[in-house]
Amino acid sequence: MLEANESTPVTAKRSQSQLISLCVNGEWREVAVKPRLTLVEVIRDSIGLTGTKASCESGACGACTVLLEDRPILACLTLAIECDGKRVQTVEGLAEGGKLSAIQDAFLDQGAVQCGFCTPGMLMSATALLRDCPKPSREEINKALEGNLCRCTGYNAIVDAVLQASGQGVEPVMK
Amino acid sequence: MILLDFGYERAATLQQAAAWLARLGDGAHVLAGGTDLLPSLRAELVSPGVLVGLSGIEPEPPRLTADGSIRIDALTRLSSLAHAGLVREKLPMLADSALAVGSNQIREMATLGGNLCQETRCLYLNQRHDYQFAAPCFKRGGDCCHPFPRNDRQTCWSVHMSDIAPALIALGAELEILGGAGMRRIGAAELYTGSGLQPLSLGRAELVRAVIVPPPPPRSGWGFHKSTVRGGLEFGMAVIAVSLQLAEDGASCCGARIAVGAVRERPLRLESAERALVGARLDDERLARVAPDAAKALNPLPHHGFTRRHLLDNVAVYLRRALAQAAERARTGRA
Ligand SMILES: Cc1cc2nc3c(=O)[nH]c(=O)nc-3n(C[C@H](O)[C@H](O)[C@H](O)COP(=O)(O)OP(=O)(O)OC[C@H]3O[C@@H](n4cnc5c(N)ncnc54)[C@H](O)[C@@H]3O)c2cc1C
Ligand code: SF4
Ligand code: FES
Ligand code: FES
Repeated sequence: MLEANESTPVTAKRSQSQLISLCVNGEWREVAVKPRLTLVEVIRDSIGLTGTKASCESGACGACTVLLEDRPILACLTLAIECDGKRVQTVEGLAEGGKLSAIQDAFLDQGAVQCGFCTPGMLMSATALLRDCPKPSREEINKALEGNLCRCTGYNAIVDAVLQASGQGVEPVMK
Repeated sequence: MILLDFGYERAATLQQAAAWLARLGDGAHVLAGGTDLLPSLRAELVSPGVLVGLSGIEPEPPRLTADGSIRIDALTRLSSLAHAGLVREKLPMLADSALAVGSNQIREMATLGGNLCQETRCLYLNQRHDYQFAAPCFKRGGDCCHPFPRNDRQTCWSVHMSDIAPALIALGAELEILGGAGMRRIGAAELYTGSGLQPLSLGRAELVRAVIVPPPPPRSGWGFHKSTVRGGLEFGMAVIAVSLQLAEDGASCCGARIAVGAVRERPLRLESAERALVGARLDDERLARVAPDAAKALNPLPHHGFTRRHLLDNVAVYLRRALAQAAERARTGRA
């Protein structure tokens, strides 16, 4: 038996759901979560935003990348309960007033989207990169996107899209 | 999806986390960045009753202590570690080793303490066991070893793949360990037992609180190399970290620390190679002789598809280059 004193956790609430608040794309929501649920499961299944993908669920592909307090993290390796009171931005939060963000536009323009499964994660990693570093070099883009796998495009179009969105001489292809 | 249910408690301080772990006993497990623990939970390598979360504790920024050492909070995220001005300036090898870990997202989440305390790895271990390898191996409490059928239940040849531990060992770092009995301080290499079954020397309720790195001595230089296949988001096949110090004559070596990770159950210090360098002139010929001998002494375990022969050759080549780079940095005084 645990003694009830200051340093004793209230109870081991095995499997019981707890209510957490998350600010998702600017809107606060309360969700009941079991401790074992990951952020990507809660975003997709409880909140219903299915833009964020769950693919490898082991940290190796980046498809589940979202911004937590503005930092790019893997939602498949994050317990939702650890995000209580925090801000999350998903791919659905990139467009403003129905207008795509510059990086989304550039992805479309450069043909950086084929099957699209990696795209939400790529966009979130690229968004975080451009906030920290508005004019990244090719090398910096490669490093920032090393955790996002794409099995279709061969990456060059994606890197070009980031260069285009940061206004660095890459000409629009389709427009 | 994690199939096991567990409870979750967020600790407000590291002391509180240590006290909870002590009280809750074997069923409790500490969660830092989760980038190692969550895959282990999914693979059912661990099955805690309660997770004690450290994410509510704000790490102290790295700081210079009175004796010139640099103290780094164990909860520091690897992205902050890699970019902290003090670390980049005084301990560039440590910053580089942090930058070598995983991917950008992993470094945003992962902590220094979690990196040092990560689970060992083996192709047969760190994945779910229900589809490929139904029989649990020794490390999972079963009675076989898939890659090494002649191993017995005391022997597990999983490897410890921290990129940062070899750098800390080569830098002569110490760790502050917090436990029920108070604080103790150990050398970074002493965190590891050398057993794949029980890789860490920590007691059940002990936590790494901080890493203390002494200032690099004058006329010293470093070399770091992580061997990989594709060079991004990948565990190392071998991780090499070297610190060398030159004597006042600027040519002979008066101090050497060499550590290699990812090839054994723990990051290893290569003391025989260190002895072969101290007192000698650091010319190319000497380095070309020491490196292959050191690789042999290391006796690397074949792991993740790399043969022993391949690892021997790889370590021999890149250790020679890391030593040459360290000697060059020590000579020119350039970080
Ligand atoms: C796709 C992928 C790639 C990776 N690549 C690399 C790589 O290239 N190099 C590398 O070194 N690692 C790699 N890792 C492993 C892991 O991400 C890192 O080692 C990371 O630093 C672990 O830190 P964490 O804070 O996330 O640890 P957690 O997962 O929170 O914890 C890991 C273990 O350490 C214990 N622990 C955590 N903090 C403490 C503490 N302060 N005191 C005592 N025990 C503690 C936990 O209980 C747990 O058992 C990779 C992981 C993934 C998923
Ligand atoms: S080396 Fe260790 S982890 Fe790998 S199968 Fe054998 S006992 Fe299991
Ligand atoms: S689904 Fe999270 S990294 Fe692949
Ligand atoms: S577009 Fe198909 S995985 Fe990237």
